[in-house]
Amino acid sequence: MESVIAGLIIAVIKILVILGVVLGVGAYLTLVERKVAAHIQRRPGPMVVGWHGLLQPLADGLKLMTKEDLFPRYGNRVLYNLALIMALVPATLVFAVIPFGPEFELFGYKIKPILTDVNVGLLLVFGLGSLAVYAIALAGWASNSKYPLIGSMRKAGIIVSYEVAITFAVMGPLILAGTLSTYNIVEAQIEQKLWYVWLQPVAFVVFMFSLLAETGRVPFDIQEAEAELVTGFTVEYGGMKFGLFPLVEWYVEVLSLSAIAVVLFLGGWSPINIPFIGFIDPLFFLGPLSPFVWFILKVTALFLFILWLHWTLPRYRIDQITEIAWKVMLPLALFNLVFTAIIAPVVWR
Amino acid sequence: MPWAKGEDFGDLKQRFKNLNIVELDTETSLHIDKENLIPLLEAVKEKGFKLFLDHSVVDLKDVFEKDKDYRAVAKANLLAFPEDKLSRYQAFYILYNVEERKRVIVKTRTDGKLPTIEKLWFAGKWAEREAYDMFGIEYEGHENLARAFMWETYPYYPLRKDFPLEGFPEQDLPSLNDVILGDKLEGTMNYNPKHTIVPTLEDLEITEKRRLKKKAQIVLNWGPLHPGTHGTMWFLFDLEGERIVQTDVILGQLHRGVEKLAEHEQYNQFLVYTDRMDYLSALCSNQAWVVAVERLLGIHQLVPEKAKYIRTMMSELQRINSHLLWLGTYALDLGALTIFLYAFKEREKIMDILEGITGARLTISYPRVGGVRMDLPEGALEVIKAFIDRFPRELGDWERILSRNRIWLRRNKGVGHISREDAYFYGLTGPVIRGSGIAYDIRKVEPYDAYPEVEFDIPVGEVGDCYDRYLVRVEEMKQSIGIIRQCVEKLEKMPKDAPFMMESPDKKIKITLDGLGLKVPAGDIYSSGENPRGELGFYIMSVGAFKPYRVKIRPPSYYNLSIYPHLMKDRVIADAVTVLASIDPVVGETDR
Repeated sequence: MESVIAGLIIAVIKILVILGVVLGVGAYLTLVERKVAAHIQRRPGPMVVGWHGLLQPLADGLKLMTKEDLFPRYGNRVLYNLALIMALVPATLVFAVIPFGPEFELFGYKIKPILTDVNVGLLLVFGLGSLAVYAIALAGWASNSKYPLIGSMRKAGIIVSYEVAITFAVMGPLILAGTLSTYNIVEAQIEQKLWYVWLQPVAFVVFMFSLLAETGRVPFDIQEAEAELVTGFTVEYGGMKFGLFPLVEWYVEVLSLSAIAVVLFLGGWSPINIPFIGFIDPLFFLGPLSPFVWFILKVTALFLFILWLHWTLPRYRIDQITEIAWKVMLPLALFNLVFTAIIAPVVWR
Repeated sequence: MPWAKGEDFGDLKQRFKNLNIVELDTETSLHIDKENLIPLLEAVKEKGFKLFLDHSVVDLKDVFEKDKDYRAVAKANLLAFPEDKLSRYQAFYILYNVEERKRVIVKTRTDGKLPTIEKLWFAGKWAEREAYDMFGIEYEGHENLARAFMWETYPYYPLRKDFPLEGFPEQDLPSLNDVILGDKLEGTMNYNPKHTIVPTLEDLEITEKRRLKKKAQIVLNWGPLHPGTHGTMWFLFDLEGERIVQTDVILGQLHRGVEKLAEHEQYNQFLVYTDRMDYLSALCSNQAWVVAVERLLGIHQLVPEKAKYIRTMMSELQRINSHLLWLGTYALDLGALTIFLYAFKEREKIMDILEGITGARLTISYPRVGGVRMDLPEGALEVIKAFIDRFPRELGDWERILSRNRIWLRRNKGVGHISREDAYFYGLTGPVIRGSGIAYDIRKVEPYDAYPEVEFDIPVGEVGDCYDRYLVRVEEMKQSIGIIRQCVEKLEKMPKDAPFMMESPDKKIKITLDGLGLKVPAGDIYSSGENPRGELGFYIMSVGAFKPYRVKIRPPSYYNLSIYPHLMKDRVIADAVTVLASIDPVVGETDR
């Protein structure tokens, strides 16, 4: 009985920590993005609210909260609001299966820093990822306006194309690890003294492409396309409702998919890897905190890489994006899968 | 001067009995009656005059009413068939032979009806819509004779001479104070609330209905307020999915009647309106107007050398300025946000230089008939030199980001392809026609100011797609840098007290800094300058007064835009921004 209550308390604490961290960090990533963009563009960025604009996200949030809530006259109010929930919930739920570090002991309880270590964790991730298309399709449809409709159709087309590619891309690491549990995949990498990116570079590239496409980042941000569609499916949303979509799409989803990429390809919380020999930890002085710091560092690096792309590249056209998905990415991922499936049982283990 | 000679048309003289070939100092014109107009235009087109430049109409009502004017105009041989006083309008068509570098004007007379030339030149179709809008000329056989700028239910034809400059006051338009507070203003504030009619929502709806027949399921209103249109243009896309089946353009949101204003302003006063047409390249427009007036006066050789070099240098700076704005917004439209800020940063420096020299940033009005308004301030040349030393490096950086970028190539190559024949057919000029491989540049064809004395190349494209137009504009910026450098070197060698304004050559022509009292003898001219967007031409007809009798502006953006519906056929919406930005229209100029 006692252990059940303790387990519940631990779970609640984990949920609160994850929600707080994810949404708080999500909000502050807007500031990071604006600062990075500003420095790429040779300007200081937000400087007025707080020291170097540190309070800017709060000011933005306050502004969005106090704005008038507009609703298109011929829209469908239920679907219009449902789209918001459908956008936020699946994107946040993904964090339930992301392991932030190794198991540790606190007050005699063994705690895994992962909300639920289900044995089909990755399946859950992609199931939830596919749900994102509902939010966008609903948002476009319920607005009853032409620009959102075109934007949401574009996005739906992209997600349908890249869900396939991304699923086949992660098959490679899965075969190598022999498990679907995210926690065990990291454990396997540490055990085998190998980040899977060294064996699965093709899968990693396909995964990163799909990440950009699914989160609507440049060069795949055609559902926003401010020049032609004027931010696409969010045109008819106002105030915080408008703010929520980019928050979910550009920050929460990017974070969750980056974390998945780190788990699958970059060895989760493990330090720098020399293939087949071992790990080097320049952060050894942090003691038990070092794995967590490594995890955060890797996710941050991926996030900054995505920002760098975003503020450098032009954007593709919709037909070119789907063309890349079906003609380049999917064959690559399939080839990689078949190759891994044939070779791995022979030389592995 | 690039005008054709009379003997070029010797064989036509036998074919057309009524053809008069007139060679003036300022132009060569063919006078023909209305019945033989289309066969003559066909024959002239076959002779190689394939590029359509402009077409419009002059209302001769006032000329016929004032005997003095009539005699002056007839003496200067400006009218086709001057004895025909019943036909109220004179129509003119300006054509250009690109291979032999010759220009010709075809003039004809009409009482309100003309045959359409839409089969010969598509651009003529748009010119005819404008003439229909402004003069009420009926074009027989025109596919879609809708008003170009005014709304469909507007009852008047504003450019006719019997339409007053201020319009007919007939609608009550109370002030906001009146409406909210019921406040009757008194004294000097008590203006007449009567106003010329303004369009209602129903009027706009009727205007929209007058468009071409709807061809697909969804009609997407792209504009008038849309960031992708770079202004207040109103496009209607008939969409089949994302594919565009048909495009329609409704213009006139920024129509201010500049041509009407020109008839009521002195030559120098009209200068400030040229700023407001293509507001991104004000100095180039100023220069084109000033040169046109100087040529009409016959004093363009007498302008001091210093003034010529200053004008050339300044308008090249303005060209870079304008192309930078194009590059920034073009990249922005294609999603490369960072280039936009880079380009604007450099543009800001040019703006500062212009402000330091002329005192203004956007609407500049720096040149004057006979020179420039004031001398260069001290240190101006050093600042310009510092800028042109630094700028090519910046440009190189941006090119490294864009030119060989795979995404950039995929978005640009093969999109918006314009063939040579299309370029003539749609009357394109500027970087758009040069992108299609035709080296048509007024700075070389009909050099003005210091352009004959500086060295530069005309970049041309090979294929004629958006990518070629991008490369052409980027290269043009580099060429402009070269021109500026030569001008700076020349200006540095000139003595400090060299004149920047010419003296009046004789008593008849009064050249002053304010330009008041400048009387231009009877005559007409078509003169053009190379704007960043293409050939900005002015057809000026003078009856020997202080004010021009008729000014027709050839807006490069207007004709460049006329190819847009053709280019957009069967493309997707994402290409709409690419193609539009690569044509680079400015609404202040298309609508005037």
